[in-house]
Parts: sequence; C-alpha cells; structure tokens
Amino acid sequence: MSAAAGQAFISVEKVNKHFGPHHVLRDVSTTFDAGKVTVILGASGSGKSTLLRMLNRLETYDSGRIVVDGIEVTDDAKQLEKLRAEVGMVFQQFNLFPHLTVLENVALAPRRVRGLSREAAAQRAMELIERVGLKEHAHKHPFQLSGGQQQRVAIARALAMQPKVMLFDEPTSALDPEMVKEVLDVMKQLAGSGMTMLVVTHEMGFAREVGDRILFLDKGCIAADAPPEQFFGAQASERIRSFLGQILH
Amino acid sequence: MPFALSPWPAGWSRQQRSSATMIASSLAMLLVLWLLAIPLSWAPEPIGNNAQYFAEGARVTVELTLVAGLAGVVLGVLAALGKLSALPPLRWVAGAYIWVIRGTPLLVQVLFVFFALPVLIPVLQMGDFTSACVALAFNVGAYNAEAIRAGLLAVPKGQLEAARALGLSRWYTFIDITFPQAFKISLPPLVNNIVALLKDSSLAYAIGVVELTNVGNRIQAATFQPVPILATTATIYLLLTTVMTRFSDAVEHRFDIEGKIK
Repeated sequence: MSAAAGQAFISVEKVNKHFGPHHVLRDVSTTFDAGKVTVILGASGSGKSTLLRMLNRLETYDSGRIVVDGIEVTDDAKQLEKLRAEVGMVFQQFNLFPHLTVLENVALAPRRVRGLSREAAAQRAMELIERVGLKEHAHKHPFQLSGGQQQRVAIARALAMQPKVMLFDEPTSALDPEMVKEVLDVMKQLAGSGMTMLVVTHEMGFAREVGDRILFLDKGCIAADAPPEQFFGAQASERIRSFLGQILH
Repeated sequence: MPFALSPWPAGWSRQQRSSATMIASSLAMLLVLWLLAIPLSWAPEPIGNNAQYFAEGARVTVELTLVAGLAGVVLGVLAALGKLSALPPLRWVAGAYIWVIRGTPLLVQVLFVFFALPVLIPVLQMGDFTSACVALAFNVGAYNAEAIRAGLLAVPKGQLEAARALGLSRWYTFIDITFPQAFKISLPPLVNNIVALLKDSSLAYAIGVVELTNVGNRIQAATFQPVPILATTATIYLLLTTVMTRFSDAVEHRFDIEGKIK
C-alpha cells in the first residue's frame, strides 16, 4: 500500500450528486483507509451504489472532490486510466464477457492494460481462477456456470489487474441463496489477505463478521459511521433500528 | 437444413464444424466459378454453346459482390459509429449518407456514379466495373450501417461498465468487447444485405458491366429463347446465393457459443 500510515487512501470531500431533480448525495465527506473493509449499508435509493461507482468514475459527481491514492478522480483520460488500473470492481450482475472463456475474461485486461504477454497473462489468470476454486471451469464460457461461479470469476477478473482497492456493488444480490456463501467465502479470504475493500451489501452477517467499519447512508447523507459491534449493538438511532429490523427479518 | 455437410465426424466441436463448413463452402464457391462452364456445356443449345459466356458472367457477379460486400461492411461500421458518435458533425454526416442512399433507387446511384460523378469531379472518371463496385458498396453500406448500429446498441451497458472498470481503453473496449458481441447480433441482417447485394449487382448491367444478367440478356436477344436462358440465369443466381448462405450460416454457428441455433 503506497498510502502513508495515517493518511487516508481514499478521500471524499463534500461530494454532491443529482439525478435530475433527485439529490442523491448531499455534501458527503469521508475517508477510507488502506487495508480496511468498509461495509456500506442503506435502503434502496440512499445513494450507496452511486457513491461506490463514483470512486472509479462510472458515475460523475456535480461538486466536491474525490482522491484515490493521490489520483484525483476526474475525466482526464490519463488519470482515469491510472485510477481504473488501481481500483477493481465487482458488479451485482457479474458483467462477465459472454463471448470469452473464463480464462480469457480474466486474462484480457492484464494483457491489454498492463501489457503482459499472452502467456504471462494466462498464467496469472490461471492462478487467480484456482484461487477462487474454478480451475476445472477455466475453459468454459460464462453461460455454462452458475451465478455463484460467475461472480467468483468476476472477482478473479478484477484481481487480475492487481488493484489496490476492490469495490463490491451488491455482489450477492443477484444470487440464489445457496450460492451466496461461496462468494462471501472468497470475499472473506480476500479481506483476510489485507485487501482494501468497500462493499455495498445487504448481507448483515458478512458486515458484522468481516467489516472493520460500517457506513450507513440515508437519503444521500452518512447517517452513521461506526465499527460493526457498535453499529449492530445498542443502536440509538430510530432510523437505523427500523432499517435493521426490516433487513434482519 | 438442405445442403448441410452432416453427419459430422464424431466428436467434432461446434468450432471445428463451422470452420469445416466455411472452408467447404468457400471451396464450393471457387469450384462453381471455375467449373460452371463444364456442366453447362452438356446442355443443349442455346445454353451449351454459350456455357463459357455464362460462367464468365457469374464470375463478374461474384467479383462485384465480394468487392462491394467487403467495402460495404467497412462503410457500414464507419457509418454506424458515426451515427452513434458523441460529435454532432459525425452524426450529421453519417445520417445524411444513410438518408440519401436509402431514399434513392440503386439504379439511379449506379448511373450517377458512372455518368454524373465524372462531370462533377473529373478525377473520378472510373471504368464500368469500378463504378458499379463503388455504387453497390455505398448502397449496401447504408443498409449495413443500420444493422450494425442495432447490434452496437444491443450490447448491454454493464459490458461497457465492466470494460471501463478494468481500465480498458476505448479502442480495446470496442475491438475486444463491443464489436464481437455487436457483430454476432448484426450478422443475420448483414447476411440478408449481402444476399440482396448479390442479386442487386445485376443493376451494373445498366452501365454495361458484363455480369450474369447482362450475359443472359445478350444471349436472349441473339437467340430469342427467353425460357431456357432466363431459367439458367436464375438457377446460377440460386446456386450462388445458396453457397453464400451456407458460408454465412457457418459463421453464425461459430459465434453461437451458447448453442442456441439448432
């Protein structure tokens, strides 16, 4: 991790975002430290995915400033290339490339962006595919895999770029219940390896067990920012109690 | 499926089968072009004695189709990208091109390129074959543009987001992600356009290109036997389009990794 100790790896300053008349994020300011797992919770429409997607510029912001590992997040092509090479992302809908095999999905970006040879990229890809437990599926196409397997490939694909931070945008929300665990297990293993992770999820068990910090968004503002034991413990806020009540039951 | 080269040797993969069909149909096209005169020469007059003439005409028809077809796919990709461009001038140019070409008859376009263009721009004085190729290429290009545009628009947004999130440049996003998926979707309408092109190439007849229809008509004018001659002409067209669609079916199969095509 290149961010010096004590200095925030990602900083978000007074960020605002509108979708038409809808004010999605209101003056959001926070920082994320290297090596930590932050779980972002909130009701649908609270702006949690939007916040995540701003960090690698899949979403623009109207005002404010975001800096990731010293790279200011703007539309400048050079900066953006550097930024995206450092920030890995996993989507709710997997978004694997359907015309490529598992191996090709994982090996493509290292070859095209990092300039690795075909062999080197394939070798690195194979190691990651083994790490997510899909060695025997490396030459299949995505449509031949289950949802959980596809999401594990998507994680391997993001890791192949050797990112410094991984963004997870509801990674288990599109999965059948019996497949959620295999994806969470891979994420736990990743968290254990010291990866900086920002996770938007509704998996409270994961948040409690793996999260170092819970960020709760409500109507575009950060309504709570606490360690999990405090957040899930005696919760003072009425709003959060009712949210947790709905989620947990 | 008539003319399918099945049954396949056991254990051949979808890719091997489609490759084999592509090679076989390419060879079949070459054989048709080279050897067409032989079976035709067995036929009675007025076909047998004009066999070589028919074969020559068929060759010119295929040449027109291949040259205009390949150029037309390139033009189609460019026009489709133009129409989807973020830059308004590019959208206008592409839109105007498609509007004019689709809104005017191909015959007028062929005549325009051969007769009118050299008057307007003397440097563009071209022979009859070249003029026909240019007119046909621009014509099919406009139709291809709409087919390819539809394909490009059908690629899910999540694919582009995944590519961007991985840091792929716009160029690699296009050639590795967008285009292969769009091309697969565009393929059936593109094939439609190319088959139509093979038949529309007969309009080159109007500026004196000696292609298949022209050959048939000339022999008919000399012998006054329309039935056997036009029947032969039509049969040769049918043969050519059949071989061509075998090839394009194989291409489609190659892209069909999910095995949706039975």
